[in-house]
Amino acid sequence: MNVLAVIYNAEFLRRITSRSFLAGTVIGAVGILLISVLPNVLGNLGGDTKRIALAGDPLVTATARTLLARDFKIVAVLPPLAAPPTTEFLDQNGRVGVIAELSRDAKGLRVVAYARDPSQFRGTFARDLAPLQIALGTGLPVTAVREHLTVPVEVRGVGGKFADESSAVAAKGVAYLFVFLLYLAILLNAQSIMASVAEEKTSRIAELLVAAVDPAQLLTAKVLASASTGFIQLGVWVLVGILSGREASTMFAHNAAGAESLANAVGPLAVPPGEVLGFIAFFFVGFLQYAVLYAAAASLINRTEDLGSVAMPLVIPVVVGFILAQIGLNFPNAPWMQFFSQVPLLSPFVMFTRIAVSNVPVWQVVLSLALDVVAAYVLVRLAGKVYRVGLLLYGRPPSFRQILVTLRS
Amino acid sequence: MSTLVLSHVARSFGSVTAVRDVSFTVPAGTTFGLLGPNGAGKTTTMRIILGILAPDTGIVRWDGQPIDVRTRQRFGYLPEERGLYGKLKVRDQIAYFGRLHGVAPPNDVKRADAWIERLGLNEYADRPCAELSKGNQQKVQVACAALHEPALLVLDEPFTGLDPVNAETLHDALLDLRRAGTALILSTHQLWQIEDLCDTFCVIAGGAVRAYGSLADLRAQWATRVVEVEPPAPPLRAVLEATPQARAVTENGRAVLAYEVPADTDTAGLLRRLVAAGDVTRFERVEPSLQDIYIRAIGAAA
Repeated sequence: MNVLAVIYNAEFLRRITSRSFLAGTVIGAVGILLISVLPNVLGNLGGDTKRIALAGDPLVTATARTLLARDFKIVAVLPPLAAPPTTEFLDQNGRVGVIAELSRDAKGLRVVAYARDPSQFRGTFARDLAPLQIALGTGLPVTAVREHLTVPVEVRGVGGKFADESSAVAAKGVAYLFVFLLYLAILLNAQSIMASVAEEKTSRIAELLVAAVDPAQLLTAKVLASASTGFIQLGVWVLVGILSGREASTMFAHNAAGAESLANAVGPLAVPPGEVLGFIAFFFVGFLQYAVLYAAAASLINRTEDLGSVAMPLVIPVVVGFILAQIGLNFPNAPWMQFFSQVPLLSPFVMFTRIAVSNVPVWQVVLSLALDVVAAYVLVRLAGKVYRVGLLLYGRPPSFRQILVTLRS
Repeated sequence: MSTLVLSHVARSFGSVTAVRDVSFTVPAGTTFGLLGPNGAGKTTTMRIILGILAPDTGIVRWDGQPIDVRTRQRFGYLPEERGLYGKLKVRDQIAYFGRLHGVAPPNDVKRADAWIERLGLNEYADRPCAELSKGNQQKVQVACAALHEPALLVLDEPFTGLDPVNAETLHDALLDLRRAGTALILSTHQLWQIEDLCDTFCVIAGGAVRAYGSLADLRAQWATRVVEVEPPAPPLRAVLEATPQARAVTENGRAVLAYEVPADTDTAGLLRRLVAAGDVTRFERVEPSLQDIYIRAIGAAA
């Protein structure tokens, strides 16, 4: 049996059954679930502002019903109210969030909306009723007014990747989501790989391991195991996101927000396969580079309490990469974005963003990926040296100069 | 026959020279005692043998070949500083280290069970290692180091933390490994425990070899012997005083005459003169112990 496989299997099992992995995965999944479902649940509990009843003059409410149907679910149409409605009255009339009483006076249409949560009453209500207001004022038929109020505007992409506005907005959402997942996966798993290396060093198991195995091999196996559990964690989160989005849309089908949630959650499914492959490739090399650095850094400490001090400098490129990716959503092909998309450690964040929101020349993608692979290999070799020396140092942590001497040797 | 050869090995850490010129050989099926005071360079020498550290100069060979990762997989190591995965169960831990050294399943678990049985760890086999006593953890470490029937087994202070019964169990296990052809390198400060176990000894101090050879060789290099005579009667003392270059050594409160004489002294002639002088109830020519040799070698180094 190959030694790499032996260590990989042992590490994988240790990590996937560890409390930190299980807790991180569950907490992440619950967070995604809450983001998908909570708005609907809360909306439902508090009464949905899209579920309304109309009251007032039947001639006016009949037309209003037609105009409002696009954005609201009209549950009931009532005669003029004898008194301001109570919460119980709203419950008795289809558990609506709002009862809007429509009447006419000298200035035209007048609306009084009785809402459970006035802050949540949507502004589209007034816009939807605008044709009726104009019709009442001018005497024109409502249908004619409606037709003239609608100005067809078509947005077409020029020299870009997207044919229209909505697909461009969706691509930015996908890029943001995937970059965020990479960011989250690196930071969550960095802690666990550092803890694993620190455990082996502080418990002196490391000396036994490096006596039997090449340190670079040991490091590679540990990092691959970490990457695997990172992928599994990512898979669980994406799956929970999709399922919770679907579930939300079913549970709250009567609620327009449910459909919105579904669109958000299943959006990534519409990502072209090439981009998914790109994400997987950049996720893998990015994760690998950081995991190797974190493992080497952890080999330098003698007490687990010191993990934070060596981890801190490594957080900087992760955060910088994340921020650059956010900025790059709006300037994907700026010269400086093209530059950073070729810089290892940053490029997994930046290049993926560029791929998602623009047409990146193939050679740039290939070059970036190749540089990342080479960087990952070099980092494994260099970190292997630091790891080998660091694991056997039990006194004062080595100075930066000593580390450089080690790397040159 | 496979042999470990160290030839003029040296290693420094910055301005500190840990090992300056160490050479020795350890053939398969023999036991080698690597002795020396704290900071003598023993651990560095062992780490160099195991490839954990590279020598600055000198050569380390096994079977005539430089030691690479493949060779190291056939070696076993019990470092002075013990380390186990605390949450891993005893059987799993031993089997894991077996797999690291190339023992494929299901033999890893079978051999782990055999070592668990042999070292009396049955009741702990399914317990996490962190729950074991220090002595039992030490036995688990020995099993981890020896499970793959190593060609060379390096043990740094293997008897530390073991009670006399367990020390005897380990002693027997090491003898069995030697019989099976394993070359053993032992480092310990408990010299009496390895005097009968080792074929060859090497005393190093200040990073250099101070004494090297079998116990018989080392004794042969010893210039004097101690003779002990009972009872401590004045006529017998007079004979000993008259022996050329003899000098009295401490008797440690015993009712005995103890004199250091040159190693080439005619012992039979001395005994005849003693018997002629009075009633002799005991006469013994005491060979220098390993401890005597060690202390003298270290003293010479100092």
